[in-house]
Amino acid sequence: MSAVLDELAAGGVRLAIPLLLASSGELLSERAGVLNLSVEGMMLTGAFAGAAGALASGSAGVGVLTALAAGLLFAALQALLSVVLRADQIVTGITANALALGATTYGSRLVFGDASADSVPGFDPIPVPGLHRIPVLGPALFEQTALGYAAFAVAAALALGFSRRTGWGLAVDAIGEDATTADRCGLPVRAVRFAAVLLTGAVSGLAGAQLALSEVHAFSDNITGGIGHLAVVAVIAGRWLAWPTILACLFFGVAQSLQFAAPALGLHVSAPLLTTLPYVVALLAVSGLVGRSRAPSGLTVPFLRGS
Amino acid sequence: MSATAPALEISGLTKSFGTMRALDDVRLVVEAGTVHCVLGENGAGKSTLCHVVGGSLVPDKGVLRLYGTPYAPRRPADALAAGIAMVHQHFSLVPTLTVGENLRLLRLRDLPRRVARVREEYGLEPDLDARVSDLPVGVRQRVEIVKALLREPRLLVLDEPTGVLGPAETDALLATCRRIAAAGHAVVLVTHKLGEAARAGDAATVLRAGRVAGGGPLAELPPERLVPLMIGRPAASLDAGLAGTIGLTEDRPSPGAGASAGPGTGASPETGTSGAERRRGPGALRLSDVGVRRADGSYALDRTSLDVGFGEIVGIAGVEGNGQSELMALLGGALAPDTGRVELAGRDITRAAPRERTRAGLGVVPEDRHREGCVPQLPVAENLFLGRLDRFRRYGVFLDRRAMNHAADAVLTGHGIRSGGPGALMSSLSGGNQQKVVLARELALDPLVCLAAAQPTRGLDIGAVGAVHSRIRQASAKGTAVLVVSSELSELLVLCDRIVVAYRGKLLGPVDPSQPDARERIGALMLGADHPAGSGTEGAGRAAATAPRPVPGDAPRH
Repeated sequence: MSAVLDELAAGGVRLAIPLLLASSGELLSERAGVLNLSVEGMMLTGAFAGAAGALASGSAGVGVLTALAAGLLFAALQALLSVVLRADQIVTGITANALALGATTYGSRLVFGDASADSVPGFDPIPVPGLHRIPVLGPALFEQTALGYAAFAVAAALALGFSRRTGWGLAVDAIGEDATTADRCGLPVRAVRFAAVLLTGAVSGLAGAQLALSEVHAFSDNITGGIGHLAVVAVIAGRWLAWPTILACLFFGVAQSLQFAAPALGLHVSAPLLTTLPYVVALLAVSGLVGRSRAPSGLTVPFLRGS
Repeated sequence: MSATAPALEISGLTKSFGTMRALDDVRLVVEAGTVHCVLGENGAGKSTLCHVVGGSLVPDKGVLRLYGTPYAPRRPADALAAGIAMVHQHFSLVPTLTVGENLRLLRLRDLPRRVARVREEYGLEPDLDARVSDLPVGVRQRVEIVKALLREPRLLVLDEPTGVLGPAETDALLATCRRIAAAGHAVVLVTHKLGEAARAGDAATVLRAGRVAGGGPLAELPPERLVPLMIGRPAASLDAGLAGTIGLTEDRPSPGAGASAGPGTGASPETGTSGAERRRGPGALRLSDVGVRRADGSYALDRTSLDVGFGEIVGIAGVEGNGQSELMALLGGALAPDTGRVELAGRDITRAAPRERTRAGLGVVPEDRHREGCVPQLPVAENLFLGRLDRFRRYGVFLDRRAMNHAADAVLTGHGIRSGGPGALMSSLSGGNQQKVVLARELALDPLVCLAAAQPTRGLDIGAVGAVHSRIRQASAKGTAVLVVSSELSELLVLCDRIVVAYRGKLLGPVDPSQPDARERIGALMLGADHPAGSGTEGAGRAAATAPRPVPGDAPRH
């Protein structure tokens, strides 16, 4: 039984890592007032660039760097459209996702050929001596890859560094809530929004790298399969608050890993049904059944001075 | 530069929005150590001027100098860096944050010391832990002032700061302005209330339609000379109540029988109409035992009854938050009462949809007309006729825009609404003109059994206040029942036949405004004092559903 729990916790956390990375960035971006629906595309681009970089250089570390660069580039495009040119954030987000899917699928034919099943250099778990022997928590928290530990650090750093108690956290909330007022307080509204989108791109790129380099050591078409959307959903389910969003990511990870552990636990639940669980939770959250939920007032509203 | 350089010197300032010239070759000199008033009607360009000084708008042309050095702000941060603090007409506070968090957004060093200094010097002590959205507007305004003072500005610009303040708060604010000027800094006070200008200002510049109409030291500019500059017609055309509303005549200096507006002079012609064509009698709007419960279980409206008769103007006075907003929401159809009935000319409309209410002849001008009363992103014409688009049909399907714009043009001219024409977006109009559009739309209902208006003249300029009052009187003369919710007591006293006072969800009174002690009695009722005499003595001050009294003569009241 304990082996099953170990498996459930370890699998849940492992599946939650890309979510943690991407939704930490997405949360910040949404708090600043930019709805980044293109997280899925950013992750997919990151996964592709990471796998390609690792394959070309033979080093997983270089793969992480190329994933980061691709995520940033993708985000810069998104920020240019939605922050500078004030394009509709929902339209640009959806379009960017479709573009990323098409481009990476085509790109993988070019780069990996038909041999995409061949593994690229990747990361392997690094157990923390001693700690990884703790039952349940050990395998979950202390048997991760380097990228996994980085994800914990990023999520915690953003949650603490941009809490409302810090000056920057307060500024981000003010900008997302009422950009005109923030502007009149002398805050750099567009620069903060641009930076928030770039940050989302960077962490989403890392999340993609985690999928391609830590999980399967290969890129396959549409490898993200909706995890990026789930990251957006986690922010909603977490009611735009840092720690609840992290909890939502972990919960979604465990819910996904339940489909593998269910038979051993004696649960006879259909796997596709389990994968719908996060979305049901998100619907409950936005309908106000899981506590009061309120998006930042300025979410998706582009800022234009003098109006 | 030299110490004698003016605090702010503006010359040749021009700013256009499309074809509309908001500011045209404006020149303004604000000396250090003075309070300089910028006066003008709505749409005169006052707010645009503030936005240019504050860096929110970049002018098309013009030169600004601040204490002698050239000053060309591109963004609000530039203005802040130059030592200019702004208090905008629309609050610049993030409602979801606490007061303290809003102050921290300024990212000032040693904030606690600055807060302490503002408390000591100006006696302003904000509750740092209160969430802004929970605060009444008057308190929010004080937080705005604190926010501006924390910066220790060289130049403080206040855009219509007293619109939401009570008399005592206004006094305190004007005293603060004087103190800042006394410290050697400069204050630009934008207002349309001449009384405030006279009390706090050293000099004034009057804007009319984007141009400087005149100005100079206020000692040489009595209201009789300022009013014509502002509105382009003589002050004598204002009636006494109107003069009170704009602060020309005020309670405490007690002017000798209304200096500029004598009793007999140009009182509005509509009040004296013979009652021949008026439909009379009670029951145009009847609220019986109406109760509205708040989420916390307390009563916003506590089994309240009120009867407004045909052709009667009933005013609701009271401190804000005593059930007035709920009453308006109830009439507009946004809120259904927990108990009781609402009847319009005998017809039960308690749960009627807004559209049915409009059809039945109930016009409602909501308090926040910008958010609830219009669609800012649609043109003026559509806003005027949105509920009656079927009038402008062509082939039964298409909208006849030409006819609609033609009709809208007539309304705009008739109501003196300053806009870029029927096709101009509602959002491009100044606040006062938006308000006139909403009022015009409701007044155009046919039939119009009852008009309910909340704060019908809040934020309006002199000319517009007079126009709104005379339109309300006109409607009443035609037999329309009118219910006015206002925090301007002078306005209610001059406009209404009967005044009730909202107090903790009840309507106390009624008070006859023609009685000499009406003001004192209303003041006492606002604090919850029991109505001493009168008909409705049975329940603790429940407004008796009295039949309307005959309309009193239009003798001026002070």
